[in-house]
This record gives sequence, structure tokens and C-alpha cells, in this order.
Amino acid sequence: MRVLLGALLIFIFFANSLIAEDNFPLIPKATGKPHPEGNEFIRINHMDLLRHDRDLVVKEGIRNIDNSLAQCVTCHVVRDENNEPVTYESEEYFCRVCHDYVAVKLDCFTCHNSVPSAEVSISLFRDENAPFERLMAYLEEKDNDR
Amino acid sequence: MVSLIFAILFYLATILLLGGIAIKIWNYAKTPAPLKIPTMPAPRNGRGVFFRLLREVIFFESLFKSNKWIWLFSYMFHLALLLVLLRHLRYFTQPVWWWVEIIQPFGIYAGFAMTMGLIALLLRRIFIKRIKYISNLSDYLMLLLLLLIAASGLAMKFVSHTDIIAVKAYMLGLLSLQIKELPLSPILLTHLLSVILLMIIFPISKLLHGVGIFFSPTRNQIDNSREKRHLADWAKKLENNNFEREGGRNG
Repeated sequence: MRVLLGALLIFIFFANSLIAEDNFPLIPKATGKPHPEGNEFIRINHMDLLRHDRDLVVKEGIRNIDNSLAQCVTCHVVRDENNEPVTYESEEYFCRVCHDYVAVKLDCFTCHNSVPSAEVSISLFRDENAPFERLMAYLEEKDNDR
Repeated sequence: MVSLIFAILFYLATILLLGGIAIKIWNYAKTPAPLKIPTMPAPRNGRGVFFRLLREVIFFESLFKSNKWIWLFSYMFHLALLLVLLRHLRYFTQPVWWWVEIIQPFGIYAGFAMTMGLIALLLRRIFIKRIKYISNLSDYLMLLLLLLIAASGLAMKFVSHTDIIAVKAYMLGLLSLQIKELPLSPILLTHLLSVILLMIIFPISKLLHGVGIFFSPTRNQIDNSREKRHLADWAKKLENNNFEREGGRNG
């Protein structure tokens, strides 16, 4: 028994130095401040936090803009070679790197926007100068697209 | 340290599981079947036996014929266990196979079905008097061990999550003989430890029924005793010796 264990240990350590293939997914770096709860906490519990927020927003109408999915995708944006944000359809998308690794379905973005929305809609209404005109122009543009 | 201990336990359990099953199969294959005892009505040719065993393995035919309630819970447990095991392939394959990806959500329901089946089988042992009478301690412990595995697995899904990215990296590491860091979540370690225990006791317990069914004379024999005389090799040898010693009684 002791011989078997010893042989096993030696085998493991030798094999360890022989095969140096790294099989951990390459998680893209985020911008902005680290999560106050700690990154490990978010890594393990983000699904419950998102679900909890959804219940608050959809069922009770409490909107907390500080912790929104929009904020998640803003800091965790991954940009392609043209510096454009990639959508969740890309395998390099932040969420997908891990979700693909463990085959967990990612269905947030079948409804939600997966790229930072600051550049599109929110800035539309935050613009101090002539928000109404910009809105009309935006809607018209959408109309023409259709 | 914990990662190293679990790695050693996993390698050891794998060796004991595979080696144990191989030895048992060897023993089963060598065990003589001196009598022709297929349960009637039995198939009259090899093809029929093949389908009889197939029905036995896929549908648990004998159990269905003997007791519908036990069949229901047993079938529920076994089928759910299969689905759950296949779902866990996502931790051992990179990239994950497409069909493993598809069965992910069903595997979660299977976790509950498996637990309910196990609880029902446990209640059967406790509350049906004649079953209780023939139940050994190991019969209960086996069910409790499987329940512990299912409960700790479900707890990681629904109560206290664990870092499954790190778990998968650890498992892939084991497959390529590297020891990665295992998350030190008590529920995860309970889950893994109970699985290791199950792997170790599998070849030396009644859990081996999954292999034994193929070697059951009542199931794998052909009903051809009239066409072909059934004679085990060792019996044939004895018969010749007797024939010579008695000075050719028949001749």
C-alpha cells in the first residue's frame, strides 16, 4: 500500500513537469473599480444577484441604477481589433469565456443589450442640448432603418 | 494540501474502481454454471438472449414483472442518475460536447428525480416489514451515501454555489496529471469525498449488480437443453474419469 502511494506521488510530480498545458480559461480584464463585495463573491454569486435585481425591478419596480446589468457590461466590455465592443455572439465576450467553458447557457442577452449602452441610448437622454430634437432624430433614423 | 489529498484519493479510487471491476468480471466469467437454469419462458437462441439482456438493462424487465412500485422508484433513480452522470461530463471535456450542453437543464430536474427515487427506496426499507427484516446495515448506508451525493450536489446548485470554473480546471488537471487548486467549499468537498467513497465500494458491494446482470445464468442462458447437452468443462472431465474407473459401464 505504501509503495503504491509512493509510486503514485512520484508519478504525479514527474508527469506534472512533463505536461505543462494550462486548461484554465483566459478571463478578460475589466475596467473600473473592483467589486466591493470581492471578486470571488461575485464570481460565485453573480447569477443570484442578477436574479434578485430582476425580481426587484420587474415585480416591485425598484430601480437601482448602481447595480444594473448595463453597468456589468460597461466595465466588462471586451473590444475587438477595431476597438469596437464585441457582442455576446462573439466567443471572446466576457461572460461567454466562462459560460462556454462549463456549458452554462447565457440567456440575459436575448433581451438585454450586451454592449455598453452609453454610446447609444442613455447619452441620448443625458445630452443637455436639445434632448427632444435628438430623440426625434433617433426615432426617425430607426424608422428609416425599418 | 487539500487539493493534493483529493488528487491522490481520486487516482486511488479510480484504480480501485477500474481494477476492482476488471477482477470481478474475470471472476464472474470464470465461474462455472453447472446447471441449465434459465428462467422460463427463455429465448431459444443467442439473439433472443441478447434482446432479453438488453430489455433487462434498459427497462429492468424482471423488476417490472415482479413489483411495479419498486420498479417505478428504481427506474426513476437509475435513469436520473444516468442523466446526472452525463451532465457531469461538462467537467471532464474541453470543449464540452454539444449533446452534453443540450442535456444540462434536464440534468437539474434529474437531480430531484434521483433524490425522490432514493428517498422512496429508503422508506421502503424502513416501513415495509418484510423488507426491513432482510435489510442489512450496508443496504441503508448505500442509499444514504447516494442521498448524500445527490443532496450535496443539489445544495451547490441551489443553496451555496461553488466556483465551478476552478472545479473544472481541477478535474481537467487530474486528467492531464496536474494538481490545480480545488475551491475549499465544505459542500463541494463533501460531494467529492462521498463520490470517492462510492467509487471505492462499487466493486466490492451489491452496487456491482450493473455488471453481474450480464453473468446471471437465469438470464443469459439459452433454452436449448433438448438440442444440446449442457456440460461444464470441469464436469466433463469428472464424467470421463468416472467412466474409466467404473470400467466402461455404458460400453
